[in-house]
Amino acid sequence: MTSSNITAEEEQLSRFMERIESGDKIEANDWMPEEYRMTLIKLISMHGMSEIMGALPEKEWVPRAPTLNRKLGIMAKVQDEMGHGQLLLRVTEDLLLPYGKNRGDLMQDLFNGDLKFHNVFHMETKTWADAGIIGWLVDGAAIITQTDMLKASYGPYARALQRICAEEVFHAQHGESIIMALAEGTDEQKAMIQESLNRWWEALLMFFGPASKETTGSSKQDLTIKYKIRTKTNEEFRQIFFDKYIPRILSLGLTIPDPTINYDSESKMWSYQQPDWNEFKKIIRNQGPRSEARLNLRRQSYEYNSWVRDALSETVS
Amino acid sequence: MAKETFYQEYEIFSKRTPNSAFQHQFSLLAPNEDMAFVMAQENFMRREPVADIWIVNRKHVRKMDTEEKMTLGRLENKDYRTTKGYGYLKKKWRQYEQEILDEKEILSWGGERK
Repeated sequence: MTSSNITAEEEQLSRFMERIESGDKIEANDWMPEEYRMTLIKLISMHGMSEIMGALPEKEWVPRAPTLNRKLGIMAKVQDEMGHGQLLLRVTEDLLLPYGKNRGDLMQDLFNGDLKFHNVFHMETKTWADAGIIGWLVDGAAIITQTDMLKASYGPYARALQRICAEEVFHAQHGESIIMALAEGTDEQKAMIQESLNRWWEALLMFFGPASKETTGSSKQDLTIKYKIRTKTNEEFRQIFFDKYIPRILSLGLTIPDPTINYDSESKMWSYQQPDWNEFKKIIRNQGPRSEARLNLRRQSYEYNSWVRDALSETVS
Repeated sequence: MAKETFYQEYEIFSKRTPNSAFQHQFSLLAPNEDMAFVMAQENFMRREPVADIWIVNRKHVRKMDTEEKMTLGRLENKDYRTTKGYGYLKKKWRQYEQEILDEKEILSWGGERK
């Protein structure tokens, strides 16, 4: 590379950073630094696959929903999650263009463990209250991280998130409605939510990721903030989650399964018992409670439906 | 590798009511136009009302590149093209004890005589 080439690239990079700083949106066919493209691909492909993998623990509750109305509600939510996956894979595919990869390759990456799906979707669901907790608190946590990126510097992702967040509001209320019915129900039903909250609490804390990269050895949070894809750190998200949801959880007569949790009004920070970050490290290596089972379900479904892809490819070749 | 490339990229546009403008929704992958219509409704129109859908194969969309977009900036001294350049009229009409016929008022004139 000659020195004039280096200068040209430096100039492109500084113009790119100026655009980002001024709030301009980067589009798929614009020039972008490799690091930006790779950061987006990692983030959005993982987000997309997590939507698809996240539909699996909820799908388990479609046949077991207690009423027809609940069944329709949870089916609509599962369909939305798959739709979100479609949107996000589309955004990723446009970014992958220079590498000649498509969603089929991403699916293979998921199967062989190169592409991770969100840690919260490696967990088991045991009772109907889990369906409520997922909608209310897991989707609530997702809303906190996703609304932060509505103004992301990458236009296609920001536009996909606009659609996704609008539907997340429905998902959160769907979950609240399940929880509200149980909270106002029998003692057994009330105990069912408390038991579910106890089981999900650690997963909800892990949802936002560790506070710093010291825990797992790497973290993308600095890069995503540098490129104005998001604005807040993992810990800031977790604190917002506490602000918004702890008063609501307590108002329903539930107990936070952490006796040490405490709000310091001076620093405006919650102190809390850290989840087991070693468990987190296992989960992100696909060694969580349901990691393999869910991946197998996805593999089976992908193989079982291969005839659809074959049939469709026949019609155009 | 025909299997891997049979998808085509479609850009999806739709409008909520017969009277509204088409709006770009998103893109999707489909093997042909018929499937693209089905997918468009499944993907983007699960809730909101829809009066019409257009699908456009992305290869037929001529997009602007970054350089071309930079030519789109407007000079800021073109008030004479908009009602903003005549903003003083509101005050003037008030001196004659009349309301200004502004855009909102004029565009409301289509119906019955009030």
